[in-house]
Amino acid sequence: MVHALHEARRVLRPDGLLVDLRPVAVHRRVGVMQAERYRPLGVMRETFDNDRAADRAVTEVEREGLFKAEGRTVFDCNRTMDSLDEFQEWLADFVKLGQQPSHDWLVRRVKRALDETRGKARVVVSGPLVLRVLRKQEAPSPNPPLRPIAEKRGG
Amino acid sequence: MPLRVDPEENEMCALKGVTDWRRKRVLEIGCGEGRLTGRLAQLGALVSATDPDAQLIRAARRKLLQRFAKQIHYAVGKAERIDHPSESFDIVVFAWAL
Repeated sequence: MVHALHEARRVLRPDGLLVDLRPVAVHRRVGVMQAERYRPLGVMRETFDNDRAADRAVTEVEREGLFKAEGRTVFDCNRTMDSLDEFQEWLADFVKLGQQPSHDWLVRRVKRALDETRGKARVVVSGPLVLRVLRKQEAPSPNPPLRPIAEKRGG
Repeated sequence: MPLRVDPEENEMCALKGVTDWRRKRVLEIGCGEGRLTGRLAQLGALVSATDPDAQLIRAARRKLLQRFAKQIHYAVGKAERIDHPSESFDIVVFAWAL
């Protein structure tokens, strides 16, 4: 991850911006919405190892003086799906990409809820995203300039 | 209606708050099927979008709207080895890719 950030810095013009957009490390909520009424079904059980590693990588390049944080925004991001198939497809990708544990228990709950509404409800997955903005800094000099040594007088 | 991400457009609102994207040269890393890429183009950016998964890049090209064809270029690529010259972008976006 740190290497990817170094590459990003290389291709950025001086003073360029790095935008890091990803989910906040909190568990997503899953529910169904019918006629503007939301019914919660469960909270996902994601692991956040990758997120923590990404945070460490960003902190490291800031500490190296390669980027400087300029801003941070957190906002809600919902996904809506019309069928159990769509939800399962999204969940399968999510589990595969993020190496997440199986959520079969949640699929069963969503299926039951959709069956009860005869398919008239939509599945809603909610969780906040964070958008961080960092500005490219001039590379710190590997060797700081030497200070002239004051001559001793007298003695 | 298929899967809809961020129907409230909170993400678009947050992106607008970052900078004026018009005519900016943007490298998007981890573009997937191009959902965010389309939004960046909508904001006026000129986007080079990459993803390590060739299948996702093919899907992104299929979904590319004609009106953004001159603003978006998709390519297979890895974040650890960016195939572009130094200092060639105004903004680099990591889209869920760090």
